[in-house]
Amino acid sequence: MHTSSKQLKKEFIKKWVKGLEICCSSNKKMDVMERKKKIKLCADIALASAKNATTSWSNALIYNAKKDDENAILVDNLLGPESRFNSQRTAHQMITFHKRVRSKRILKKSCTVSQRMKKASPPASNLATCIAKRLVKKRTQVLKKLVPGGEAMDEYSLIKEALDYILSLRVQVDVMRSLANATEVLD
Amino acid sequence: MSSRRSRQSSSGASRITDDQIVQLISKLQQLLPGTRIQRSNKASASKVLQETCNYVRSLHREVDDLSDRLSELLSTIDADSPEASIIRSLIM
Repeated sequence: MHTSSKQLKKEFIKKWVKGLEICCSSNKKMDVMERKKKIKLCADIALASAKNATTSWSNALIYNAKKDDENAILVDNLLGPESRFNSQRTAHQMITFHKRVRSKRILKKSCTVSQRMKKASPPASNLATCIAKRLVKKRTQVLKKLVPGGEAMDEYSLIKEALDYILSLRVQVDVMRSLANATEVLD
Repeated sequence: MSSRRSRQSSSGASRITDDQIVQLISKLQQLLPGTRIQRSNKASASKVLQETCNYVRSLHREVDDLSDRLSELLSTIDADSPEASIIRSLIM
């Protein structure tokens, strides 16, 4: 795990710095909010592209960033020419995947509803499990919204992606914090 | 979290067992701050998920705050000043 996070850190720093140069190089005066948004966008895209399309969340992050019209060109520049083709393919895959998942979900729901009607009412001892299940369901829904692309994932993939996402976020925070601390010292 | 019926996962993936999910949850638990040296049983799955959500949210917030900080710091540094070149060499 450690070597991969070191590797990720390296890739992230490289890509982030490159990205910052691209979007902050124009010397026109940006106000603080605009600069902050650019810094954040560069960081997110750098993090996602450092994963090299190996995880769903990173692909979803890039896809979502491109959907925003005002950012689309910038994102393309940040990603570089080679990955343009890849992201197009991924976007199409995501759309078809969404459709497939949604229809599966509808089918699943109709099956479980009819099953539930057939079963007799559960005894009291199962109440705890019922509540636990419902809680887990609720939390899973929340997690789905937090992990990029989570809505389209099943529970297993969601947790796997969340694991990787958390590790990557930590790398991002570490690097950004180091730069912020270093910059502060100079002031 | 444990459903008795087998999951219909997307094409190509094998059936996901309950054990695999429990294993994932315990891995997740190890990542979270505030180490709890507890056994991962099914009952705490929802707790682990809740902690995960909180943790992800706090990480998001940190990234946001750091972006704010960096934006303010970098704006006070003149592009051509010696400090800027120091920073540039620091992060290269």
